[in-house]
Amino acid sequence: MRLLMFCVALAMGAPSTAQSQLPGTVEARQPPERGQAQDPARQGDALASALASARALVDGGQPAEAIERLSALDQADSRVRLMTGVALYHADRRREAIAMLEGVRERLADGSIERREAEQVLGLSLYLEGRFADAIPWLERTRAVVPDNLELNFTLGQAYIQTRDAAGARAALARTFGVPADSTAASVVAAQLMIRLQMEAMAEAELERALARDPRTLRANFLLGQLALFRGQLEAAVERSTRELTLNPSDAMASYQLGDALLRQNRGDEAIVALQRSMWLNPFYSGPYILLGRAYMKKGQPATAEGMLRRAIEYDPNNRAAHYLLAQLLQQQGRAEDAKQEFAIAERLATRGEE
Amino acid sequence: MSGWAALLAACAAVAAAAAFDTPAPTAWPVRFVDVAREAGLTHAITYGDPSRKRFIIETNGCGVAMIDLDEDGWVDLVTLNGTELEPAGRRDRAWPPGQAPQIRLYRNVRGRFVDATRSSGLDRIGWASSVCAGDADGDGRVDLFITYFGRNVLYRNLGQGRFEDVTAKAGLDAARDRWGSGCSLLDIDRDGDLDLFVANYLSLDLAAAPEPGQGANCTWKGLPVNCGPKGLATDTNLLYRNNGDGTFTDVSAASGVSRVTGRYSMTAAAADLDGDGWTDIYVATDSTAAILYHNNHDGTFTDVALSSGAAYNEMGSPQAGMGVALGDVDADGALDILKTHFADDVPALYRNRGRGLFEDVATQAGLGVQNRFVQWGAGLPDLDNDGWMDVFYVTGNVYPEIEAKLPQYPHRSPRIVFRNAGGGRFIDVTASSGPGVTTPQSSRGAAFGDIDGDGDVDALVMNMNAPPSLLRNDSPSGHHWLTVRLEGARSNRQGIGATVLVTSGGRTQARAVLSQTSYYSVDDLRPSFGLGDATVADRIEVRWPAGGVDVVSAVAGDRVVTIRERAN
Repeated sequence: MRLLMFCVALAMGAPSTAQSQLPGTVEARQPPERGQAQDPARQGDALASALASARALVDGGQPAEAIERLSALDQADSRVRLMTGVALYHADRRREAIAMLEGVRERLADGSIERREAEQVLGLSLYLEGRFADAIPWLERTRAVVPDNLELNFTLGQAYIQTRDAAGARAALARTFGVPADSTAASVVAAQLMIRLQMEAMAEAELERALARDPRTLRANFLLGQLALFRGQLEAAVERSTRELTLNPSDAMASYQLGDALLRQNRGDEAIVALQRSMWLNPFYSGPYILLGRAYMKKGQPATAEGMLRRAIEYDPNNRAAHYLLAQLLQQQGRAEDAKQEFAIAERLATRGEE
Repeated sequence: MSGWAALLAACAAVAAAAAFDTPAPTAWPVRFVDVAREAGLTHAITYGDPSRKRFIIETNGCGVAMIDLDEDGWVDLVTLNGTELEPAGRRDRAWPPGQAPQIRLYRNVRGRFVDATRSSGLDRIGWASSVCAGDADGDGRVDLFITYFGRNVLYRNLGQGRFEDVTAKAGLDAARDRWGSGCSLLDIDRDGDLDLFVANYLSLDLAAAPEPGQGANCTWKGLPVNCGPKGLATDTNLLYRNNGDGTFTDVSAASGVSRVTGRYSMTAAAADLDGDGWTDIYVATDSTAAILYHNNHDGTFTDVALSSGAAYNEMGSPQAGMGVALGDVDADGALDILKTHFADDVPALYRNRGRGLFEDVATQAGLGVQNRFVQWGAGLPDLDNDGWMDVFYVTGNVYPEIEAKLPQYPHRSPRIVFRNAGGGRFIDVTASSGPGVTTPQSSRGAAFGDIDGDGDVDALVMNMNAPPSLLRNDSPSGHHWLTVRLEGARSNRQGIGATVLVTSGGRTQARAVLSQTSYYSVDDLRPSFGLGDATVADRIEVRWPAGGVDVVSAVAGDRVVTIRERAN
């Protein structure tokens, strides 16, 4: 979320009431002389300097240090509280950040950059705390200032998905991905993100909505097939993948998905056809070779299976599944030592994945 | 192609054909009703804070058992219990007298349950994990071994529902606290007495454990949750050889059991999985490769899970193994393995291909349609007695605080039931299996047995921070059944570790008598078989753990039949 903050801050561009009051920092760094009374202007210089230092620490990845320094400043000052809230957010102490920013927000001038920053960081903190519904109003207020910010719209899109607001998600993600609002393309993009966030039922409805408006919507059937495969609904996965290929026969991933579903149904010969097509369309993707290896294993053609699996490993040497299936194949062929080596690689890759 | 490979390919083709060439099933008659309250099972099982789990110790819950402990022919019930931490603290709460959560024993008196907890002697308070059963001292009665986060306990069965803590006497007192998880009593050396395998989940120093969200393995879906198991130190497993006099010797190192490292071991099921006549041990392991301890016939074990195909899923990925059920889903006379996992994953169904080789066919078999919930206790009971073993597992999330933020991951979720439509092809019948199944709970342990003697299989389920569920199977299926009670002579008295093969209607089904199964639980030690429309089992073969084989023919169904082991 640091990048988003950076972009939004840049995009805001509005003059800061605080910054406009900032005097030169050189004088501010000078400590008052012993016995000399501090005039208010010098105190303001010192505070501004301290706040600037704290921001530099936050930007430099040292929010804990910034929090410590801020704690020595006047806690009644709204700018100190704002900066502390920002630092707490960056220190992953989001609950404290929320409390701090909720308290200080209204004390900052309406329309000022400080208030916008407080609302933006508050929105992000609430979002990261999983309080999506609470986050949305603050993120939307930020969007009113920077309507085209990619990261902000993407975050909003995810927040709307988590609150099961499909229309809000569709609108935010349409802005993110530069497609017309409320279009079938926006539905497909939103559905893709819904799947990523494990909101499968919501994604399914979104894709069905797109297909109802235009049965030739690209990727909608593919994603429905993916959902069906995820749920183990193999017939539906075959049907949806086939429909996608009818619309776009050159879709290598749809062919791959069809092959996967067919193979799981034990329809090996049909799977091989689909996987070969996928391989021919995109010969550098290891997936089809792995499934072809498995298909030929099941078909009782170990030499062909081995060839496919070795090609998968050639393209993707750290693919655990390829090594694992090759090990199984070699073991079935009685090549125990070779199998052992491949099992060891698969296990090493599995363990590495856990680290 | 080698001859062996050709044979394998042919077998695969035949199995595949069998899997999909089956008649359309008739209506599903099974309805489960929760009768816990009317049976008097009203005490809540305590397991940490109900609403927020700060530490992993609060998440895993515990097991249950359905065993005839007093030998009256009726299945008794045991529910383990946990405890709580001090509020905002890291030490166990001190309970006022009489209020500590207890292991509860309910004796079954001809279908009615009597709470026999007070006189049971099962009085250890703490974080109980699992229970395993077997006659540890050779007196003929079923003893109970219970694992804990802390020190494990061996309870000797004194009869009449009374038990005595004999841990120290048996030489099983541990030198230090560990997190005991699964366990199984098994005969590793065919000498007739039961040895003891104990799994350890992980090493946890509660005083130093990080708070939720305070570490790399302390978030889930971007939200702060209790830490682990990843990131926490693993532990090794233990094996104790029975000295023949009720005492045990630690042979963990000599047997090779403790040589297997880097695993978060959970449920342990012991049976002859490769058909060589010796008892092996299969261990579900969280987030790591499962363990299959192959019995080398000389008191040692070798982990062959990886090369046998039972370590990972079909594509070689590790899964978060929790529960284990053994049964024969395709009625080919060989024991298959069902293993349950975490949310966003499907169970593994390892079909036994013979010669110690397994293949995960879960998705192909239809089990992939449910993957939202964390899966725990599992069984392969034949719920409608049609002669095909069904799948039943319980679910429940480990992060109760998450559902407020991620409603797609509810803390309480339904039990899942799959009907075996024949040949190991499964259909999700959860929604039509009655309120006992569809009512959501956060469950862990589950055990299966016939509480009312009507021939259909009922279930006892542990629910987190709630009373257990006692799910009565009201199944007017009209099918026939047979329950087999073993009486060992050379082998242990209950025949624990035996494989029972029942042939009827042209099919042979295999079941094992298991000291532990499901999740940290014990099923009725008398395996039950559905006979479908057949009124007679044509053949029953018992492969005893001490090595002998007994066969009986033409056994009438709809009853409990006792098979005694030939002395020689």
